[in-house]
Amino acid sequence: MRHYFHGGIHPADGTDKLLSNQVPIRMYTPKSVEISMKQSPNSVCEAIVKVKDKVSRGDLIGKSVSFGSANIHASISGTVNDIKTIRDDWGRDIEIIVIEADDKEADTKRASNDYEQGLVDISSYTVETIISKMVEGGIIGMGGAGFPTHVKYETEEDIQYVLINAAECEPYLTCDHVLMKEYGYSIINGILLFIKAASAKKAILCFEDNKQDVAKDFEYIILKNDLPIEIRVLPTRYPQGGERQLVEAVMGMEVPAGKLPASIGVIINNVATAKALSDIVLGNEPLITRVVTVTGKVKEPCNYLVPIGTRFSELIDLSGDFKAKTSRVIDGGPMTGHCIQIGGTKEDLMLSVTKTTSGLLVLEDFTKVESPCIRCGECERVCPAGLAPFKIDYAAIENDIVLCEKLYATECISCGCCSYVCPAKRELAYRITEAKTEVFRQRQERSSKS
Amino acid sequence: MKLKVAEQLHDVSPHITMNRSTKEIMQDVVLAMLPALLGGIYFFGINSLILTLASVTTCLLSEYIWQKIRREQLTVSDWSAVVTGMLIAFNVPSTTPIWAVMVASVFAIVVVKQFFGGIGSNFANPALMGRALLMFLWPASISNYVTTYHNGADAISSATVLGLYKAGSDTAQFTKWDMFIGNIPGCIGETSVLLLLIGFAYLCYRRVVNLAAAGTYVLTVLLITFVFAKDGMFKGDILTNLMSGGLILGACFMMTDYASVAPRVKVVLSIIAGVVTAGIRIWGRLPEGVSYGILVANCLSGLIDTIIRPHIYGVGLKNNKR
Repeated sequence: MRHYFHGGIHPADGTDKLLSNQVPIRMYTPKSVEISMKQSPNSVCEAIVKVKDKVSRGDLIGKSVSFGSANIHASISGTVNDIKTIRDDWGRDIEIIVIEADDKEADTKRASNDYEQGLVDISSYTVETIISKMVEGGIIGMGGAGFPTHVKYETEEDIQYVLINAAECEPYLTCDHVLMKEYGYSIINGILLFIKAASAKKAILCFEDNKQDVAKDFEYIILKNDLPIEIRVLPTRYPQGGERQLVEAVMGMEVPAGKLPASIGVIINNVATAKALSDIVLGNEPLITRVVTVTGKVKEPCNYLVPIGTRFSELIDLSGDFKAKTSRVIDGGPMTGHCIQIGGTKEDLMLSVTKTTSGLLVLEDFTKVESPCIRCGECERVCPAGLAPFKIDYAAIENDIVLCEKLYATECISCGCCSYVCPAKRELAYRITEAKTEVFRQRQERSSKS
Repeated sequence: MKLKVAEQLHDVSPHITMNRSTKEIMQDVVLAMLPALLGGIYFFGINSLILTLASVTTCLLSEYIWQKIRREQLTVSDWSAVVTGMLIAFNVPSTTPIWAVMVASVFAIVVVKQFFGGIGSNFANPALMGRALLMFLWPASISNYVTTYHNGADAISSATVLGLYKAGSDTAQFTKWDMFIGNIPGCIGETSVLLLLIGFAYLCYRRVVNLAAAGTYVLTVLLITFVFAKDGMFKGDILTNLMSGGLILGACFMMTDYASVAPRVKVVLSIIAGVVTAGIRIWGRLPEGVSYGILVANCLSGLIDTIIRPHIYGVGLKNNKR
């Protein structure tokens, strides 16, 4: 039985991914890193090191203080040179730890581990040890949302399946694709650990059909070793990799509104998270590196395996500078990524790689002018949540939050499909996301009053 | 909630957009109507072109002047007024006086479109409302149908095929082939099934229109007129009903019009429009019911949209447990 998720679009023709998915991953270790204490939108950590402290690779430097956050570790060995504070969009003060490497030799490539070369025996690990390792290693979802992984596994629900998300539906991004090409065994060992941690029946590894090559490799290993992993190749469509959409496409059922996938017996993890898990459990290395796609209008698009905290300016430099006249630099993919700079040079880029940075995309800047909605209904047709984006858009402009709530603005997944197809070029996704945030804020206010 | 406005929106995601704008959609529709316009000129003479130019110009000017007076954002360049103008001319016979199409154009743009908020906010198809106004105030101005030049003689007054059919007269002088290519009396843009379908095929190829809406409408009309024919049950003339009136024009270019039909419930509205159209053709005073059928559906779109609830992901699930 084949299932499809509702709505969706084909925002690209495949050439976008070809820019960077044929090149091997390049390793790079910078001389200094800037590690933000905010690694994903909802997680703010507290720095536990001081200026002039010596740290070595893997040392804990940021401690999780809130529910949504996870530990942060030093990604290179060296000295804490500075702790800067910046204010983010929500008005929170975020500490940024600057580490200067003292000894370059210490950070050269480690010897390859056996879990990266083949299957290893994981029978000695219990559910508790794996989950405590997740906490210790600061493992968070590396697909974008950055939800701490251990929280998913501390569920009371009976978990049947672990879905491993290898859809990578965002155009341009190829970091998961190349990771699977080069770290296949790390990922498979990680998946087996996930199955164990969830006490699940099996894992389902979900690809889109533009990654047939790696799907075949994985299938070969899985069949040869008779592993409890099922391969599912789905037709390429955005936003297939959205957690809820993936459940719909693979299982043919929907996650109830306001609940986690665990409520229907499913946990979803990204492939990069699977690699991070095997790194901490089997290799004792916390989450301090990740693969970042640098692509678009740069001279040499490529994927880099870099320590967390590597400056964006260095990544652009490695890829040979901008190729666009006025470049729009995006942290993430073109559909959901956050624009961090328009115009300017690579030296102007202030931010650095976090655990959730999947890509750094450079596009030629463009201007859209909004015109009135013509009620063509395209937004409604492509909305994976089944909403009527143009109606919520009207309500949001009128500041009618009650109406936004009635129209289920809360169920928006901010995928951007509606804005993509809109012939009137309306910024539907932006306003609906704002409306969603406002509805949640007002709900919280109401519940704190009563 | 504080929302970014106009130029502040420059950096919001998504950062790629589909290569299609309102203007391109409207241009596609205009392009799709050109074959039928050329057919109208061929069959009914140069007057068809003059009327079309008059209504298009009036539509553009009235939209421009209205928006200038009201100091609104100018939307004349989006080509939607051209579509409205062409549709007005398509829906009248070639003998219509110029002043009549100009009045209809001003009414369509100013009253039906701009009074209700401009493009996308009108409650009904402006062109059809323009036609309805003429039908209501000056019915004589748009009821002088003539034969085509290419029927062997000069154009002479003639009832439409549907009119003859309704009156129970003989329609044998018009062959089915004439109906298909458009060699019959009628409105400028409605007679040639062939040319309308060429345009419609282009719109389908460009994914501008909803094939299901157009198809449902046509099928509903044909089914009902076939079943409840005046000669007895199941004796209706399907081909005459299909090809001799405004059914194809209505289905291809007006039932599928965006602004007046709520997208999600298009098919339901098509059925309603079909029932009304067929009802008028069979039991009404008029031989033709396409424009009123579509207008009724337009007016009911808000209600139907409220009655038929969409399914929201994860809301109201039953038996969702494995």
